[in-house]
Amino acid sequence: MPTEDQVLQALRQVIDPDLHRDIVTLGFVKDVAICEGAVKITLELTTPACPVKDRLKEEAEQAIRSIPGVDQVNVKMDAQVRPTLAQMGSMMIPGVRNVVPIGSGKGGVGKSTVSANIAVALAQTGARVGLMDADVYGPSIPTIMGITDAPKPGEKGIIPIEAYGVKVISMGFFLKPDQAVVWRGPMLTKMIDQFLGGVEWGEIDYLIVDLPPGTGDIHLSLCQRIPLSGAAIVSTPQDVALQVAQKAVIMFNQLKTPILGLIENMSYFVCPHCGQRENIFDTGGARRAAGRMNLPFLGEIPLATRLRETSDSGRPIVVSDPKSPAAVAFQQIARALAAQVSIRNAEETAAEPVKITF
Amino acid sequence: MATPQIPTPVEIGRANQHDVKIRWNDGREIIYPARRLRLACPCAACVEEMTGRRMLVESAVPAEVHPLSIHAVGRYAIQILWSDGHQTGIYTWERLYEMAGQLPNSKIER
Ligand SMILES: Nc1ncnc2c1ncn2[C@@H]1O[C@H](COP(=O)(O)OP(=O)(O)OP(=O)(O)O)[C@@H](O)[C@H]1O
Ligand SMILES: [Mg+2]
Repeated sequence: MPTEDQVLQALRQVIDPDLHRDIVTLGFVKDVAICEGAVKITLELTTPACPVKDRLKEEAEQAIRSIPGVDQVNVKMDAQVRPTLAQMGSMMIPGVRNVVPIGSGKGGVGKSTVSANIAVALAQTGARVGLMDADVYGPSIPTIMGITDAPKPGEKGIIPIEAYGVKVISMGFFLKPDQAVVWRGPMLTKMIDQFLGGVEWGEIDYLIVDLPPGTGDIHLSLCQRIPLSGAAIVSTPQDVALQVAQKAVIMFNQLKTPILGLIENMSYFVCPHCGQRENIFDTGGARRAAGRMNLPFLGEIPLATRLRETSDSGRPIVVSDPKSPAAVAFQQIARALAAQVSIRNAEETAAEPVKITF
Repeated sequence: MATPQIPTPVEIGRANQHDVKIRWNDGREIIYPARRLRLACPCAACVEEMTGRRMLVESAVPAEVHPLSIHAVGRYAIQILWSDGHQTGIYTWERLYEMAGQLPNSKIER
């Protein structure tokens, strides 16, 4: 009969390609059960949106099967999203494990569209997801997510509205239509505090934050208030836009917020009639910029009329047309983003955090 | 992105009853006298935002001023709750490390 030691030894051969360590060291292996020649284990990954889930499962099965005396293998897959280390000590938003703001250097690059679709795509993998619309100037998340209800107060704060498996809170809930907002620094900070502390988020693996365009007070408040897992930056392929994206990169660097990667939106065009891909702009600009700045590239989203239509009608494309090229792109980007969060958190766990004893 | 790496603190604790001691990851260990730290508060009430003019009047700060508690702000700074009730200042790693050069009692341990 194989021993637990033998099983663990075999599993040490399986390396997570993102985290560059074996799955035993990473603590993924749970509940090893051996009965005669049958071995049952559970692999607990750091995200249900793991891009290499199937590969890890297969490799683990193979590794166990190679042990003499094993005739039956059962690998169960599970996931437990780990919190940002910095978040653990802070009680700013209890229950929220990772806060991921989506930013851009300028407006209109598709930040809200990307935030909403990534949030829904993550939720579709089984993760617990929140979406916070921090764009006080033009909150568009309620429209994209098809939310018309107003949120109700709960015992400890406002209860977010749930749409497509995502808990949503937006400044739009608290504004009358066409109400012009002139916000100043302190008011913005207060709003951010209320959004973060005054909402009954519950247990959240990923809180996606749709930031206003540019690099202003909101960004500052947010990065100062809570330890962020890292930001993603959306850009269009044009060089001009990329230079603006660089501004966002510099701002997050100054605030010591890690950058999880760049996303290229409106990257290329897929003809809805013949399916032919056409590069209208200089596609790949963001990928090259990411390379230059030594940042991960998370993926590219095509220009698609369906994407605008589904957003306008409140049915994100990952729900209403999940097989379309744009939806597939979002699913892939969501997994790449989740992988980057896991990588960051693993690196942080390895690095010593600052110890404060005062 | 390759920004020049400034040192980060490894440990922030007490040098004595009132003063703050920071051990940096480059091996330096710096003692920040409490009052010096309070007078260096960078917040908008203590320093005029546009001109950088110091508005905090030294004589208005109690001689025995000291931190009551210190907590981390994001990954780049600390916030200090002072015995005089002040707490709006955010001390970034940069600022603290820069201050170290102006303090007489820093010692280098490698
Ligand atoms: N890949 C795409 N293909 C087609 N239309 C898109 C695409 N991405 C975004 N859009 C459309 O472009 C417009 C702007 O997108 P969105 O509101 O998401 O941008 P934003 O960066 O959040 O803008 P703002 O700066 O105003 O907040 C919307 O009408 C949206 O539906
Ligand atoms: Mg927007």
